[in-house]
Amino acid sequence: MKKYLALLLALCMVFALAACGQAAAPAQEAAPAQEAAPAEEPAATGALKIWVAEAVVDFTKEQVASFMADHPEYAGYTVSVEPVGEGDAASNMLMDVEAGADIFGFPQDQLARLVAADALIPLSDENAAIVADENDAGSVAAATMAGTVYAYPLTSDNGYFLYYDKSVISDPSTLEGIIADCEAAGKSFYYDLRSGWYMPAFFFGAGCTLTYDTDDSGAFTKCNIDYASDAGLGALKALIALHKSPAFVNGSSVSNATNAAAIIDGTWDADAAKELFGENYACAKLPTVEINGTATQLGGFGGFKLLGVKPQTDETKLALCDDLALFLSSGDVQLARYNVVFWGPSNIAAKADPAVQADEALAALGAQLAFTVPQGQYPGEYWSLSEALGDDIIAGKYDTADDAALMEALQNFQDTCISYAG
Amino acid sequence: MDEKKRGNFGFLKWLGNDLKDIGQTFARGDWKTRLSFLIMGFGQLCRGQIVRGLSLLALQGGLLYFIFGFGWQYLTKILTLGTVETHREGRVTVYGHNSFFILLYGILVIVAVLALIYLWRLNLRQNRDAEHLLSIGKRLPSNKEDLGSLLDKNFDKTLLALPVLGIFIFTVLPIIFMICIAFTNYDVTHQPPSKLFTWVGLQNFKELFGIGGTGNFGGTFFYVLGWTLLWAFFATFLTYFLGMAVAILINKKGIKLKKLWRTILVLTIAVPQFVSLLYVGKMFAVDGLVNAFLMRWGWISTPINFWANATSARVLIILINLWIGIPYTMLIVTGLLMNIPAELYESARIDGANAFQSFRKITLPYMLFVTGPFLLTQFIGNLNNFNVIFLLNQGNPKSLELTNNAGATDLLVTWLYKMTINDSNYKIAAVIGIMVFIVTAVISLIVYNVLPSVKDEEGFQ
Repeated sequence: MKKYLALLLALCMVFALAACGQAAAPAQEAAPAQEAAPAEEPAATGALKIWVAEAVVDFTKEQVASFMADHPEYAGYTVSVEPVGEGDAASNMLMDVEAGADIFGFPQDQLARLVAADALIPLSDENAAIVADENDAGSVAAATMAGTVYAYPLTSDNGYFLYYDKSVISDPSTLEGIIADCEAAGKSFYYDLRSGWYMPAFFFGAGCTLTYDTDDSGAFTKCNIDYASDAGLGALKALIALHKSPAFVNGSSVSNATNAAAIIDGTWDADAAKELFGENYACAKLPTVEINGTATQLGGFGGFKLLGVKPQTDETKLALCDDLALFLSSGDVQLARYNVVFWGPSNIAAKADPAVQADEALAALGAQLAFTVPQGQYPGEYWSLSEALGDDIIAGKYDTADDAALMEALQNFQDTCISYAG
Repeated sequence: MDEKKRGNFGFLKWLGNDLKDIGQTFARGDWKTRLSFLIMGFGQLCRGQIVRGLSLLALQGGLLYFIFGFGWQYLTKILTLGTVETHREGRVTVYGHNSFFILLYGILVIVAVLALIYLWRLNLRQNRDAEHLLSIGKRLPSNKEDLGSLLDKNFDKTLLALPVLGIFIFTVLPIIFMICIAFTNYDVTHQPPSKLFTWVGLQNFKELFGIGGTGNFGGTFFYVLGWTLLWAFFATFLTYFLGMAVAILINKKGIKLKKLWRTILVLTIAVPQFVSLLYVGKMFAVDGLVNAFLMRWGWISTPINFWANATSARVLIILINLWIGIPYTMLIVTGLLMNIPAELYESARIDGANAFQSFRKITLPYMLFVTGPFLLTQFIGNLNNFNVIFLLNQGNPKSLELTNNAGATDLLVTWLYKMTINDSNYKIAAVIGIMVFIVTAVISLIVYNVLPSVKDEEGFQ
């Protein structure tokens, strides 16, 4: 009787052995690599994987092909380009660095997470100098942590501004005017106030700051925040007043908007906005809003798309990754990319191109960028905390609160933000 | 208490007997048996049981190779989960120890050691029995008989081999692994392969219960747990009783177009749940269909934000779940209703019982008796009802009063999901996983033991 149980277990273990045998191989290889000297020079071979957003896969393939044609020294490598959305790319890299792509595009708010998980290798000094030279200051700052440049800027268009319907909104320069026009026409004003990205438009506009300092391993060391102040209180009151308007709808996606006359959104929705508003399509910088009795320009984040290189165990492959990433983020390629998918360049020369200059949405974003701060690094918890504050506002918890209660909420928010650092 | 003592004692006694038996096997055995202590299957091979002998020998070789050739490097580090961090030499990266693999393969090696001990014991017992059989002049089963029994007397084991293997690899091993994670500091700042994680004892449990942790972790946990239980209660029993009411209504004599009504209700099942839930969630948005119609009819002047407020979001979720759940209950109950003997109702009517009385005295007891276990599984299923919550509103609204991404309608499972996917907080997620298990296990055991269908199996036969 028992003997067959033994047979069964035999089967069991044989399978387990087979399963482990395969998985063990890379783990065992890793150790001797420590000793491996870069002795053999001739024609290294290997495979290199690139993750970029779906929209630019074909474009990237073409560019890679032309790069490989110009660099016969890397002929032994095969490069594959896979469509992985930028937000997903960062998450996937974090889940399994070793299986992740060698070069990948990501939004700059993911930089700290990626650095903390050691999924990015800092740029070589030469490349860092080139990047700093050729791109606008905001995008370089966004790719830098504690003085080290970790990524190659790709775009300088991750910001938000106002899309509106010319036939409804007569003057897009003040929020009060926009709301009044929307209410009169029975239309809606869309703004995402339950978001750590959109909400600072009010707080930063009012003069508050919220930034985090990081050390060179990507850990947060200090939070610089002054939301619990008169300026912060004014901004919170303005948000509460906005939520009370019947015209206000929480949201920032044109494709989900019904009955919109104005929406605060980014360049990625430009086509959808054109379709929605038709010939009444118009863009402008964010409006001013009455905060503590003065008309205050709304601020916000300037955001950027970056291209990162994963830490490599092989020197030749690392050189190839460096060269390829530098090429894919160069001015010429950025301009070519704009012409195909309309991603606003971060390269200074590409920005000056007449085609880029004539883009309405990019022009509005450019006007708004003057009032924004380059988006630095924020801990993941910050984003959900902001959603919590936004949810509390929308749920009406502060509708009748007095100044002291509001101040207490801001103090709570501020203390929690500080608790994420160090 | 007493029983536990006896349990411990029983185990010790068993162990003592077993060790004695091993000693006796060695002392009384011949040289073949004694050599089998070192080389598994040796005695069997010598006595002509080639199949048994070879498979034991192969297993011993394979397991020893696995343990010492492959697993040793992981097993030796399992107490620290690795000490060498990933670092750079120049710009080239050198990967250090990987805590994840050390833990995973360490567990596997421990299982292999246990398997080896079990097989070794089995091998001894076979030797002892074979000697005994020979000594009383009987014949040992031949190789052909051994193999043949796999298709005959032991066919169950042949059939079960693959399922058991699958359950071990896909269920048991991950569960052991997850339980271990709950005692480590595997989170966003300790992610392999670039960072190490290590054992931290009960610290994660203390943090979850709010003992010496940061923020309002304990409060949030009990808040989420409270809503999880509340939700499971309402989702199960409201659906059950309303579904029964609908079924009885449609079943009533004199109702026309029975099939039509049933079909209409069952249509909600025909549409994939995730499609209908996403759509309904959108319908109740501020700029959704429901608000648009209410405003057009002039019932409200400004849109109602159903999802923004904790209470309205909870009520709405329970209501929408009714819409999804009632048709299922209705289908089940319709079948059962037809099974209740009509004579029961007839005699009740003759005795002068009204409709409500016959429902309370006949229909309901019968239903509860037959569907008791079903209700229990429904309740457990609702405790872990990820789909409805996550597709309707992702557990929102959040609040500054809660921590770690939790929202007012989050169940423990959706909270766990957010923790792993958004925050990479695997250690706390593992603890919550264990908590979910404890909650479901306790409820299942208690309820199962008081179910009428378990206590009184003959009740309705």
